[in-house]
Formats: sequence, structure tokens, C-alpha cells
Amino acid sequence: MKVHKAVIAAALALGLAACSPGSGSAAKNDAPTTVSTDVAKAGNVTLNLTDFWGAAEGEWIKQVITDFEKKYPNVKIERKTEDWGQLNSTLNLQLQDAGGPDIATANNGWQSLGTLAKGGLVLNLDAYAKAYGWDKSVPTTIARQNQFTTDFKTMGSGSWFATPMARTSLIGLYYNADKLKALGIDPPTNLADLEADAAKAKAAGQIPFEYGSQDGSTTVLLGVQALLADKTKLNNYIYGDSSVKATDVAMTDAVTLTKKWADEGYFPPHFNGIDYQTAVADFVGGKGVFRWEYTGSLGLNAQQQGHFGYLQLPQQSGSGTVGVGAAPGALVVSAKSKHPDVAAAFLNYLMSPQAGQAAVDRGLVPAMSPDVQVPPASLSLTGESAGAATLDKNDGYVPYFDWSSPTMLDTLGQNLQLLYAGKTTADKFTAAVDKDRDTFLAGQS
Amino acid sequence: MVTSARSTSSAQTRDARPARSTDVRRRSVRRRTRWIGLAFAALPLALYALVVLVPLGQSIQYSFYKWDGVSASTWVGFQNYVTFLTDPVLRSTFGHVLVLIGFFALLPIVLGLLSAALLTRAKQPGMAVYRWIFFLPQVMTTVVIALVFKRIYAPDGPLNGALRAVGLGSLARTWLGDFTWALPALGLVGTWVTFGFCMVLFISGTSAISPELYEAARIDGAGPVREFFTVTLPGLRGQMAVALTLTITAALRTFDLVWITTHGGPGTSTLTPAVALYKAAFQNPQVGLAAAIGVVMAALCLVIAVIITRVSERD
Repeated sequence: MKVHKAVIAAALALGLAACSPGSGSAAKNDAPTTVSTDVAKAGNVTLNLTDFWGAAEGEWIKQVITDFEKKYPNVKIERKTEDWGQLNSTLNLQLQDAGGPDIATANNGWQSLGTLAKGGLVLNLDAYAKAYGWDKSVPTTIARQNQFTTDFKTMGSGSWFATPMARTSLIGLYYNADKLKALGIDPPTNLADLEADAAKAKAAGQIPFEYGSQDGSTTVLLGVQALLADKTKLNNYIYGDSSVKATDVAMTDAVTLTKKWADEGYFPPHFNGIDYQTAVADFVGGKGVFRWEYTGSLGLNAQQQGHFGYLQLPQQSGSGTVGVGAAPGALVVSAKSKHPDVAAAFLNYLMSPQAGQAAVDRGLVPAMSPDVQVPPASLSLTGESAGAATLDKNDGYVPYFDWSSPTMLDTLGQNLQLLYAGKTTADKFTAAVDKDRDTFLAGQS
Repeated sequence: MVTSARSTSSAQTRDARPARSTDVRRRSVRRRTRWIGLAFAALPLALYALVVLVPLGQSIQYSFYKWDGVSASTWVGFQNYVTFLTDPVLRSTFGHVLVLIGFFALLPIVLGLLSAALLTRAKQPGMAVYRWIFFLPQVMTTVVIALVFKRIYAPDGPLNGALRAVGLGSLARTWLGDFTWALPALGLVGTWVTFGFCMVLFISGTSAISPELYEAARIDGAGPVREFFTVTLPGLRGQMAVALTLTITAALRTFDLVWITTHGGPGTSTLTPAVALYKAAFQNPQVGLAAAIGVVMAALCLVIAVIITRVSERD
């Protein structure tokens, strides 16, 4: 028995001492020094792409791949698709596999992209950014979303570890055009207008904002915050500048306004028992006049697109337009890829106006493509494209607020539910937001 | 095989007898059979070690690190355990689980005993159908059950509809969006699921109790209540232990029901350790904390199972 125990103890000790978790992955963050933008010269190359795009987005990427392969007949791109949650939770493992993808869609922020970059699993793309001139062609507020400093303490500056694409996903205000017409009001042009219109809709027995908070939907709050906050401060807050506090980025004001709307009955009755999917279905089905929503999330068909409009309202201060927006996915090149030059060329192509036009043709919101042709029958897509173009021009993007810490989305959702139930105040809400981010920042350094 | 097994058992029974000459041979036989047994069990044991013990060891190891799942980790000692036990939100999950144990374990067992006592007193026609109906939730996937109840509890769902129809509209509420009612509402789903299981278990247990005991009790003048407490209840001790162990661990592990209906909300009023674990492991890169939660919950399950077994086997 003694022998047995000794063996077990030794095995345990060995197992524990052998290696701490994660020590096996070598950090490899040096940017490639010699890069080539000449794809034709690369010879026959097959790239593996893994993405999380289905439906219209899947059609879009297929089209873009076909176009790219036509442009460079020596390149073949094998595409594999996985659902969003599945890919997010397994991407770090896939990228450690030598047979894994060359290019993949990651999620922005610390949870996914930051962790992959820190772990040396994705390539530093600085050399390509220089070669292709991304620093000039991509709006700064979008470029920052893909950058980390190489000590991995700061997001939003430093080296490129991913690229955006000629598509974007925004938070903005949708409206039911038929209802506005019936109520005899024009689409609002600013926040004050919107509040007046909401009051009118309420008086006429309509639900001003279709919304449900059961799963902690944050689009109202973040949409409103973008209209009130200072663009630079909000960006810096999310990217971890601890000198900026949540009160400096209009969090308290946005929370107060959201609560006011809830108290005035601008949200549906029993909205605390309505989940996100139900609220979306209700709005598309004709309930509610307005809805704060991510672009592309309503799932409007071609016929419905003529009946719903989209607005990117200007800031309350009148200083241009600021909106929450990011590319729907951050494209990374695996550190294990044998053809990084070709992979980077494909990423560059994904940011081209051709890719933007391919997006519009499939009803998706284009970005960085000022000259796209939008089908005039689609009211919502016309509004969304105009919104993206305005934000491109204003360099007015702010990232999703939940990038500021991995637990921020939960914190926002939980505190919104507490707020609606009268169990917290706007000030306490803002303090909770600061606490969440600052705790995370303290753990980073 | 048969002879060797017999010789071993006889060797064991006569072990105390001092007989030096045969002792050595017997011991070697015993040792050989033990090795043969181990050889047969080797493959399953190796598989068990690979899929259970190794990950268990890894989880324990991870729980002492601050790790994002990818990059290098830092040793933090018991910090993750301290966080789990002191963070107000994470600590509140224990309170929620206690409430759930009430709904998942205690209530179904009381109801199960009651219905078993009623159903077994006299043979009713169509008994099998009743049992089948009540046992049905046990074989349904929790995901399906959660989706069904999400609909039932919806603001304009059947439950509120029924309340309004009978003039109790003032009781209608958004069950899963209400800070007070969300947790009990989810708990009742658990009651519905485990009740049938407990009932079937107790009915089969009651049928194994010797009818003479009931007869004796009746001759002694015991009524139905007295009969239940003196004959049925003690006779079901084993089944109670099984029911308690399974339902309490089910309550401790509650994940899918909460995840599909409320995600732990409103606020954090329905957050369970399993949901917190999932969030830490797969949504926020805090693998160490997730491992610590997992280890604590596994230890708790083990302790509870041991206590229940000990108590139920005590005479």
C-alpha cells in the first residue's frame, strides 16, 4: 500500500509541477518584417477560412470569395462555417492546431481578440497595414477596434491584430414607417424630436418603443448614450483609460433618460417579462413605433424593408453624429498560417468597395464604401447605408460598451433590470459600471 | 473460474484458521484472482481515469491559477475560492440553490410520499396511466421543459390567462421578470419535473413492503396516518435516500433551466453556481474561477451524497 500511495503522490506532484496551464503556448507577437502584396506571384495557395456567417452574410462571403478567386486564379479559399457561440468558444483551440484556419472571424474586445493576440495565436498585421495603407483608408474609430499594444495592457491603440470589413453593424433607431404616417409625424431628426414623437405616439394609444428587458437588452441605453456622450471620451473609456469615468461619458444621463421612458410608459406593458426575440418579432409584426436595435438584427425581408426606416440621429450637442458601431466580426490571420501574405491580401479585399457593394446587394449594411448603389425600394437599407456613410465621414464610431470588460454586458443588463424594478438609482448604476471596468483593469496590469 | 471463485470465498470464510502450509497457496490464489479482476477492469478503469479523473485533476489544478484559457497563467493560491465564497453576487448563488433544493427535493418528496400513500392504499383502474403522465417530465429534455414554461410564464401566457379568466387578474404578473417570483417560478418547474420520479420510486418501494406489516398494523388498530408513519415511511428509507441524492444534486447543478429562461436575471436573482461557472468559463476568460466553482460544487455534491447514505443506512 505504501508503494501505491507514493506512486500516486508522485504522479500528482509531477502533474501539478509539470506546467502551469497555458504555459505551452509560445508568445509570438513580432510582426512579419518582409511582406509582399503581390498575390499573383505567391503560386498556388489554398487558404482555410472559418467564419460565423449564415444566411445573407454567408451569401455575401461566398460572393466575395468567388470574386477574389476570379481576380487571383492561383488562390483557392476553403470556407468552413460554425455558429457564433461555437466558434467563439473553440477558436483558441482551432488556432493552436497546425491544420486550423488561416483566416478566422473573432469577436472584438478582450474576451476573444485580445486573448488570442496576447496568447500569440494571431498575427500582428502592422506590416500589412503599412503596405496596404490601412492607417489612411480605415476611419480611426474603426481601426482602433482592432488594435492592442504589444504589452497587451491596452486596447484601442498599438498594433493591428485584426481587420474590419466593408460591412458594419450599428445601433440606431428603427421606425415603423406606416405607423408614423398614420400618426401624421415625420421621422425625427434629433433627440428632442424623438421624445416629442414618442409622447404623441403614447397619447394616440401606441407603444412608442418596442422593447423587452427579460434578458437584459442594452440597445436603448447604448443608443441613447451615443447621442449624449463625448465621442473621444467614450472611446477612451471603453479602451481602458482609467482617468475617464462613467459619468464623463454620459452614463448617468443615459440611464436617467432610459428610466424616464420606462416610467412614462413608453415601453410595452410588462416589458420586464418580454425577451429579446419576442420584442423583435413584435416590432416586425407591427407593435411599437420605434425600436433601438442593432442593424441586421430585425431580419426584415425585401417586402418588409420598404416599411421600416432607420435613423442615425445626430448628437444632442449638435456636434456631428456619433453611433455605436463595429464590423460584424474581426478578421484574424493565424500565427500558424503558411501564407500570411495571401491571407492579408484577402483581408484587404474584404475592406474594398467591391465587397461593400456585394454587401448592399444582399441587404447588408456597407461600410467604407461611399459610392455604393442601394436599391431604392429598401427604406431600411437606405437609412442604414446613409447612417454608416455619415459615421464614416464623421469618424464617429464608438465601440460596443461591453468591450470595456468581459463582464460589462452582464453588469449593464442586470443593472437595467434593477433600475426598472426601482431597486437601483442612476448614480448607483454608474458606480457599478465604473467598478466593473476598474476591477477588470486592475486585474490586467 | 467457478472453482477459483469458490475457493476464494471459502478461503475468506475460514481465514482465521491457522494452517501455515496451505496459507501461502491460498494467499497466492487470492492475489491472482485479484489481479485477474483488475485486468478485466483495467480498460474501463483506464477510460474512467482518462475522461473523469484526469479532467478532475486538471480542474483542481486550474482552480489555483488566474488563467484566461489561452495565455500564460499566474498562480494565485486560494484566491479563486475566496472570490467564490466572498463575492456578494457569487455567494448569493448558494442562497438561490437552497431555495431550489426546497423546490427540487423537499417538495417533490413530500408530494411523492403523499401520492404514493394514497395510490397504494387501494388499486385504482388506470393507475399505470397516471404514473406515466406524472413520470413524463422526467424523460423530457430540460431544454424542452424550459421553453414550454417560458411560454407558460410569459406576460400574456397561459398562466396569466388562466388567472385573469377566473377573476384573479390582480395576481397575474411577469413571473420570470419579477425579482420576487422568478426563482420560485423556476423552482416549481423543478418540482414538476422531479415529482413524478419520486412518486414512481415510492410506489415501487411501497409494493416491496411486506403486506404482513400492514396487516399487523391494522390488527393493532392503526389508522391510515399511523400506518403511513409506522410502516410505509420506515420501509421507504432506501428510496428516500436515492430520491434525495438525485434531486439535491440536480438542484445544485441547475443550469439549462435558468440559462434558457432568465440567464440568471432579473438582476442576479436566479443566478445559480452552474450558470456563474458557465459565464466564467466560456463568456469571460476566468477559467481559474470557473474551475474553483466547479470543484466546490463537486465537493458539495459528494459530501451531501455521503451524508445521505450514512444517515439512511444507520439503524
